[in-house]
Amino acid sequence: MIPFVLFSMRRAWQGFWRNALMSMAATLTMVLMLVLLAGFFILQNVLLASLSFVEQKVEVVAYVEQNATDDQVQTLISETQAMPQVASVEFISRDQALERFKATQAAQGREDLTQYLESNPLYASINVKLTDPSELETVTAALDQDPIVRNVLNITALVNRVLTVTDFVRTAGVAMVGIVGLIVLFIIVNTIRLAVVARAEEIEIMRLVGASDAFIRWPFVFEGALVGLLGALITLGLLYLGSEPLGRAMVGFFNVLPLELGSVGRDTVILVLGTGLGLGVLGSWLSVRTYLIR
Amino acid sequence: MVPPSLFDRLTGRARANRPDHAVVVLHDVTKRYPNGKEALKDVDVVVPEGDFVFLVGPSGAGKSTLMKLLIRDELATEGVVVIDGFDLARIKRRQVPKIRRKIGIVFQDFKLLPRKTVWENVAFALEVTGTPRRQIRPAVDRVLALVGLTGQARQLPDQLSGGEQQRTAIARALVHDPRIIIADEPTGNLDPVISWEIIQLLLRINELGVTILMATHDAEVVTALRKRVIALEDGRVIRDETGATYHRED
Repeated sequence: MIPFVLFSMRRAWQGFWRNALMSMAATLTMVLMLVLLAGFFILQNVLLASLSFVEQKVEVVAYVEQNATDDQVQTLISETQAMPQVASVEFISRDQALERFKATQAAQGREDLTQYLESNPLYASINVKLTDPSELETVTAALDQDPIVRNVLNITALVNRVLTVTDFVRTAGVAMVGIVGLIVLFIIVNTIRLAVVARAEEIEIMRLVGASDAFIRWPFVFEGALVGLLGALITLGLLYLGSEPLGRAMVGFFNVLPLELGSVGRDTVILVLGTGLGLGVLGSWLSVRTYLIR
Repeated sequence: MVPPSLFDRLTGRARANRPDHAVVVLHDVTKRYPNGKEALKDVDVVVPEGDFVFLVGPSGAGKSTLMKLLIRDELATEGVVVIDGFDLARIKRRQVPKIRRKIGIVFQDFKLLPRKTVWENVAFALEVTGTPRRQIRPAVDRVLALVGLTGQARQLPDQLSGGEQQRTAIARALVHDPRIIIADEPTGNLDPVISWEIIQLLLRINELGVTILMATHDAEVVTALRKRVIALEDGRVIRDETGATYHRED
């Protein structure tokens, strides 16, 4: 068993270098395809992060009656916080609401009209962030029931529209990565097939001198794995080199969005290594098979 | 009983302890291809151990099909093909490589690997059949000496003459110590003088006890040697006689 594995690996290594041009072509195709795949994968993750950021912006704003006591407000806040659909609750007092209004007006370069008012006309509110924006209606209904809530800002229609768009973009993103993945699969398998076909005579001779299927197949499978591994490592190297400047550009571009991309790096490494190795092995296995079934 | 190895035969211990038996038996063999063409029809051939057989006939007579049946590249549509006691239609797929190691095959176009040296081309046949490395070196050195290529062992095929390339191919066919050598037009690409060298080599190998089946168009060689001749035409054996010439003697 071990001599056989060593033999296969040695033959794979020789095969790779004795057909250097074909091996390089296969490896470079592999790199190109993996970069494409990884690019789409990263893009997809940025997209998802942006979408969840947009969805986080969805909040329920419930205005509180002016005659509500502090105790009542505190009870409302803690009750709301206890709801499983609620991520966080923020209380905005009447004064804070006025400050915010002034700030927005000033930011837009408008005259401060509040100075003509004798009293603060704004209501205090509790702003509720949701764990899942689709829970909007439940939370809205619950808050609406509360006697100290004057009214709940009804944004159901707007949120539903946002959700429709984000759902669509999510599905389209997955489909896109899926399609790119399929294309990558076909191109890589086909390239490796070409490299194997170029050595049809070698396989023919092996059959004629009485090599068993395993002795013909495994060196090619190992060689495919070598192409896959090398392609994946080069790809990861390129991505690593590119991640610094690209990442900086992205942070600049998405400045406003504090995106959470924590595990994308790790996932990309797994994806690239897995795809490279997997397709290298699969490609050679399938290509050699055509010569063995006889 | 273990058949004597080429080494035994080289050292003269060859035929003494083995009863004569047929290496190749074809009984009522018909080969019909999926397109309906009958390449072989009712072929009966028995080749005893140690025979030297010429297979002659015009192109398309069925010589190549017959050889493909012998190496189990194709299966007979009807009839039985037996190699060294094994019915090729009944053996398991896994055993096919083992049968092929009993057969050495030589082609008109040599089929050498261009990036491997003479030595490596011969060793290749042993490597890919799982022979331990320490056994490969002496075996390869021995067959290279037998075909007279010891001095060219480190050269690549394209540095060799046609005759030397064919001798490399013969060495590769021999290295498994086969029961039979099947040669498909081995002199087809060679000039007459070199052809005779190759024939002499095959005769020597035959004298060592290896059965030889050689397909050829070379009338001069066949007629001069007066060996057994099997003539095929339109897929049928039209002549099978020993001590014969290329063309029918009337």
